[in-house]
Amino acid sequence: MNAIEIRNLSKSFCGMYAVNHLNMTVPVGAIYGFIGENGSGKSTTEKLICGHLVPNEGEIKLFGKDYTDAGVRVRVGALIENAGCFPNSSVWDNLMMQAINLGLEHRTDEINRVLKIVRMEDSAHIKFKSCSLGMKQRIGIAMALLGDPALLILDEPINGLDTDGMRIMKEILVDITQNYGCTVLISSHILGELEKIATHYGIIRQGKMICEISAKDMDSCARLFISLKTRICREQKLSCKRNSGMSGRKKNILGYMMWMIRRASWNTFSKTGTLSEGSAETKSVLKNTMSN
Amino acid sequence: MTGINELKFESPSFLKRLSGMLGVDFYRLFHTPMFYIFLAIAAIIPAMILSMTDMPGPDGAAVAPLYTNTWQIIAADTPLYVVSDIGEYANMNMVFIFGGIMVSIFIGHDYKSGYVKQLFTTHAKKQDYMMSKSIIGAFSMACMCITYLIGGVIAGLLTGTSFAVNGGSVIIAVLGKMVMSLGWASLYTFLNIIFRRYFGLSIASSFFFGTGILIIGAAAILGNNSVLNIFLYGSSVYACLSGNIVTLPVCLVCSIVWAVIYNILGTRILSKCDVY
Repeated sequence: MNAIEIRNLSKSFCGMYAVNHLNMTVPVGAIYGFIGENGSGKSTTEKLICGHLVPNEGEIKLFGKDYTDAGVRVRVGALIENAGCFPNSSVWDNLMMQAINLGLEHRTDEINRVLKIVRMEDSAHIKFKSCSLGMKQRIGIAMALLGDPALLILDEPINGLDTDGMRIMKEILVDITQNYGCTVLISSHILGELEKIATHYGIIRQGKMICEISAKDMDSCARLFISLKTRICREQKLSCKRNSGMSGRKKNILGYMMWMIRRASWNTFSKTGTLSEGSAETKSVLKNTMSN
Repeated sequence: MTGINELKFESPSFLKRLSGMLGVDFYRLFHTPMFYIFLAIAAIIPAMILSMTDMPGPDGAAVAPLYTNTWQIIAADTPLYVVSDIGEYANMNMVFIFGGIMVSIFIGHDYKSGYVKQLFTTHAKKQDYMMSKSIIGAFSMACMCITYLIGGVIAGLLTGTSFAVNGGSVIIAVLGKMVMSLGWASLYTFLNIIFRRYFGLSIASSFFFGTGILIIGAAAILGNNSVLNIFLYGSSVYACLSGNIVTLPVCLVCSIVWAVIYNILGTRILSKCDVY
């Protein structure tokens, strides 16, 4: 069973497709890193999953059930854009309201538990509007963690934080992902942010899923890419040494060849859809180019 | 910390969902000063109006008071849809204007703060949201009716205005207006759903409809026609000091029917459109 299964999902705003026939599969228990540049459709996809937006077409299933099913939704926690708290209420009151909404029995214990996870035990009685951005993000995560969620959706939780805030947030995310045991969908436009925690990656571009890959495959692809790049660089250095006396025209041709190699590898990656397939092809293209 | 979560998905019943959402709304209502401010406003307004009617005119001469009886600040003597002076208009129906503003602020904060996202991410359904806001709005306005009554009575005692009236009619008038709160709250919730992205428009539209200006305008054409009782403002006016045993069921039916209509429409809009 998959935690999230999206088929042919589309959403447009004023005729412009933010999500364009997107397919996505998040296995149960995965920490899914949802990568894409700004405006690629990450947040829109997450809002669609959370039911904030109405899709134009397509199907969303959470744990094998329709995404509007109340039984599934009660076990979904999300932090989309902001924490969604009342600014004039205290952190405690905001968490209490969410706990009441979820119909939790031991509310005080549950609130204390999530505050401990996000390292905010001592800040419970501060008004939400007095909290820093980092604290607000952590409160948002605490809100999402209430009620034992089976699926956690986090939209760029590290975005906009200072170094210290980023460090604390990363610690919390590692903590949640390693110890909590729920499926996590976490989006970011920086791959490096997720490298320590993600087990799967989905790369989205212009509303379309370019590829879905496991962290293991991503790692091996990255290794191959680096080794090939190192070889190319070494070859380039050697040929430069050999042809130290070559004319400017010859140097330009060599530079153009290097550019062609990089372009060929990117094109095959884009066309094939999956990086593992693409990487094999890329490898052969690069080897042929090198031998030539 | 728990281990791997068990994947059990039990659908919460409608009552559980609604009670959860109502619980949040009541918690929020009692923990924010806005509710108490509006209760105070509801109490102060009748006291101010009743006191001011005894004031002398600009030339120092005594003017005929707008109210000869304290209970006229609660409801008009007869169901008058066409008003000739402010005294016939200014009664407990004004609660529905303040109430509209309060409901708009209450719902508007859901959207402004983004809390509505938290609600709809979890099990809350659109119809639960509509119902919960309608009920909380009705409760708030009913409370405001009570403080309005208290404020009016205290002002009547202080100004020495007469209290002579049929007790049963006063009770029916007050209960009728309290019952009407549900219909009005549903209307304001519906308006706030339509203008959810525009906080100012929500308040302005609530104020506009709350004044009952459309019914007053219609009454100017149709006259004091009892057909106007099918509208919220019409039934609110119908709950007057000459009310009888029929008044309360009329108010109840009108309020519930409009509440159902607005709830269905609001739910449909929320289901078809993006949340924000």
